[in-house]
Amino acid sequence: MSQNLEAVLEGFCLQCNQNSRLRDMNRDWDRVVAITSQGEHATPLWIVCRQGELTLHRHAPGDEADLEVEAPEEVLRAVFSGQLSPTEPYNRGELMVRGSSDDLMRLDIITLLLWGD
Amino acid sequence: MELLGHRILVERRGSDGDLERARQWIAELDGKVDAIGLGGIDRWLWLDGTRYEIRDGAYLAEAATATPVVDGSGIKSTWERRVILDLQAKGRIHPSQPVLMVSALDRFGMAETFYQEGYPVVAGDLIFAAHIDYPIRTREELVAIGRRLLPQFTQLPFSQLYPIGDEQRREPDPRYARYFAEAAIIAGDFHLIRRYWPADLSGKGIITNTTTAADIEAMTARGVAWVVTTTPRLDGRSFGTNILEAAVVAALGITAEDRQWPQRVSELPLRYEWLLLDVTRNAKGSR
Repeated sequence: MSQNLEAVLEGFCLQCNQNSRLRDMNRDWDRVVAITSQGEHATPLWIVCRQGELTLHRHAPGDEADLEVEAPEEVLRAVFSGQLSPTEPYNRGELMVRGSSDDLMRLDIITLLLWGD
Repeated sequence: MELLGHRILVERRGSDGDLERARQWIAELDGKVDAIGLGGIDRWLWLDGTRYEIRDGAYLAEAATATPVVDGSGIKSTWERRVILDLQAKGRIHPSQPVLMVSALDRFGMAETFYQEGYPVVAGDLIFAAHIDYPIRTREELVAIGRRLLPQFTQLPFSQLYPIGDEQRREPDPRYARYFAEAAIIAGDFHLIRRYWPADLSGKGIITNTTTAADIEAMTARGVAWVVTTTPRLDGRSFGTNILEAAVVAALGITAEDRQWPQRVSELPLRYEWLLLDVTRNAKGSR
């Protein structure tokens, strides 16, 4: 059985935090990212980046989300575990991301630096 | 222009970032001219022996089936290395001088030469293309990051990666001024340099390619000490590497795909432009 989304996102945060290059790149990128899987009982999970360190939250942190990511759960699991590049589901219309273009590009770069070829 | 005993007619057409219009022109010129150069967009990015194709550049190039369409990458990888080495041999630059390359992944040959010759280099690809304040300081890290990013990023619309059309005319954004301040030499694509340069560049040198007379004025106003355009100037404007490559293709009848290409390009007489600027607005040129 595959990991649930929360476990996948925990793993994603851990990998980012263990990657010294990413920590350095994100040292001034203080953002809140809301991640929502599409479905009947879906509630967002939240990734908060502060001074280069990512933490996962089950409840909304005080700040509004800077970036909102929404997709079917299997797509989110694949993207945040490195099995799928965000570009593919994004181009197919399965992955919706709302936020500034700089933040979107940074999220792409984070996933590519973790798992890109 | 004259090249290798051939007189070559060069015509420029600007589509102001309109890919469809550019593609239509390329289709119309296909089979009627000897070579077509893509300006303001690349088709290929070379990184440590691997070539990555930019989707939008390929879309343009594929509009021609008979005439070779080139983007300057066949020149950059060989010619610009020679320019750096020649400047160094003439004592105009020295490995003690810090270099800011605003983008290195689009001219890996120049960046690699700086790194190999021992210059302290900051490659600003992540800073200026993605607004991630992360200077790349070694060739190894540039290659490692490029290998991760280029397969996906070359598939994005080119406008997301590089200022085109109106973006090229925006007021400079000086938020990364400290990287310019720390450098003695600023190198790379001039549209990117101009997009982010600060008001004061006193005493610094710029190594770039496509510049106009107005660009030289703007450099002088900022106190730039000297500028090198890696390709020759004509009527006050330097040729882009794409035009130079198209001219070489027209003259030699071979393209960068040909095995003879590196050798033939290396045999071309090296011409670039060195301009010594001064704040009294008198520019003195030499080679």
